[in-house]
Amino acid sequence: MAFLEKHLNILDYSLSSIWQRRARNLSIILVFTGVIFLISSFQMLTTTLTQTAMTALEAAPEITIQKMVAGRQQSIPQSYTAHLDKIFGIRQIVPRIWGYYFDETSTANYTVVGLDTSLMPLSDQLPLTLSQGRLPADNGTGEVVLAPAIKKILAPNRRTFSLFRPDLSLKTMKVSGVFPDEANILTGDLITMNLADSRDLFQIPAGEVTDLCVYVANPAEIGTIADKISKALPDTRVVTRPQIKKTYQVVFSWRSGFASICLLTALAAFVIFSWDKASGLMPEEKREIAILKILGWQTGDIIAIRFWEGFIIATLAFILGYGLGFVHISLFNGTIFTPLLTGWSVLQPELHLTPRIKMNDLFLIFIFSVIPYLTATIIPAWRSAAIPPDSAIN
Amino acid sequence: MRPSARLTIILIVFFISGSFYYQSATRQNINGQHNKLLTTLTASLGLTDLCIATEARYTRHPAISDSMAPFMDHPGSIEHFPTGSFWAPVKKH
Repeated sequence: MAFLEKHLNILDYSLSSIWQRRARNLSIILVFTGVIFLISSFQMLTTTLTQTAMTALEAAPEITIQKMVAGRQQSIPQSYTAHLDKIFGIRQIVPRIWGYYFDETSTANYTVVGLDTSLMPLSDQLPLTLSQGRLPADNGTGEVVLAPAIKKILAPNRRTFSLFRPDLSLKTMKVSGVFPDEANILTGDLITMNLADSRDLFQIPAGEVTDLCVYVANPAEIGTIADKISKALPDTRVVTRPQIKKTYQVVFSWRSGFASICLLTALAAFVIFSWDKASGLMPEEKREIAILKILGWQTGDIIAIRFWEGFIIATLAFILGYGLGFVHISLFNGTIFTPLLTGWSVLQPELHLTPRIKMNDLFLIFIFSVIPYLTATIIPAWRSAAIPPDSAIN
Repeated sequence: MRPSARLTIILIVFFISGSFYYQSATRQNINGQHNKLLTTLTASLGLTDLCIATEARYTRHPAISDSMAPFMDHPGSIEHFPTGSFWAPVKKH
């Protein structure tokens, strides 16, 4: 109890000391809060995106087959499915035509997906996800479901619009439905149509598609069946669902990202700044230490005061910075980092993010920010506490 | 009142209000509606990637683009899209 009482008294003294030098301490807290805000909101953004990807892509195609020619993806003949007949365990093969459409008027890139949705899993629930309208009719009707942002560009106040085929002839499309805003993270640049319309739009020859989605009877056999497909079709690339998820586990890896290096540089600059502030003791601070030592305080007690001062400042800045980071992601959808994520993208889907906090990330940021600050302040405090009291008084 | 008691009260108030805000901000996720929407769209359209950057195909569809895609435009091509600096390269499938 005596130990606790002693440290409570020291804590009270430290708080009074922080309040006495409030202008200086406030400036440190503000700068420190800013650094932690940047690091925590960046890390929260990448964690949120990774976890969203993990949730959403749990339902991605189990196996995707693409044909490769000279290291580039080419159309795959639908007749390739005949080579897969002998592979036991394949439940269904769905051909798909998809690609990119560059809109020269708005200079935006759209992703066009054409497939028979009735063959896909959960297709009975797809109409319920649309914010307006219905799915495209079966074949060659020119009906599309598109993202709200694309509707604003292509068909703001009408139902029809035209896209160019490769030979620059026009193909008229009708908007039959619109994806919801909440799904922008998946469908923000998407135009969905039936297979015949996408074939017509991209002028892909009959009997060819962009890729084949393969579904298996037992998900535990995805890897084995993918190996068999690779052997049966050696000129193809076979991408499995676990590989897709693995990609998203590393693609936002903030530790290897360029931006994280910039942010860690900011943290290093702050540590240098706090070292400089703490090592340049003002005469009245030296006098205060000398008086405390004359009154009987030990060097350890003075270090304890500085430790508590540093700990309170760093913890307050951490709580404020992390809280602001959370608000930045939840209310403002990570506005500061969105330009980094989207680059030169013309179509910038508004992301509706639900921030996720992982305890190991929280502790990692705490350790990376608070410990360097405490180290940077406590060593100069120890050096100043070791000075003889009479020299400081004089 | 002791300064340490005041600090404790401030921290307790902050944590209680912060946890209420956290609950309200993540409610959308807790009730699972948003996740269900995303899962349905992914399954029924066969989607493989998140739509975040639309400028380059290798950042729009990193999962199904190969690692050489950023350098594929012509022989000696260098990767030049800004999002390439944010998105970590995928080493090996």
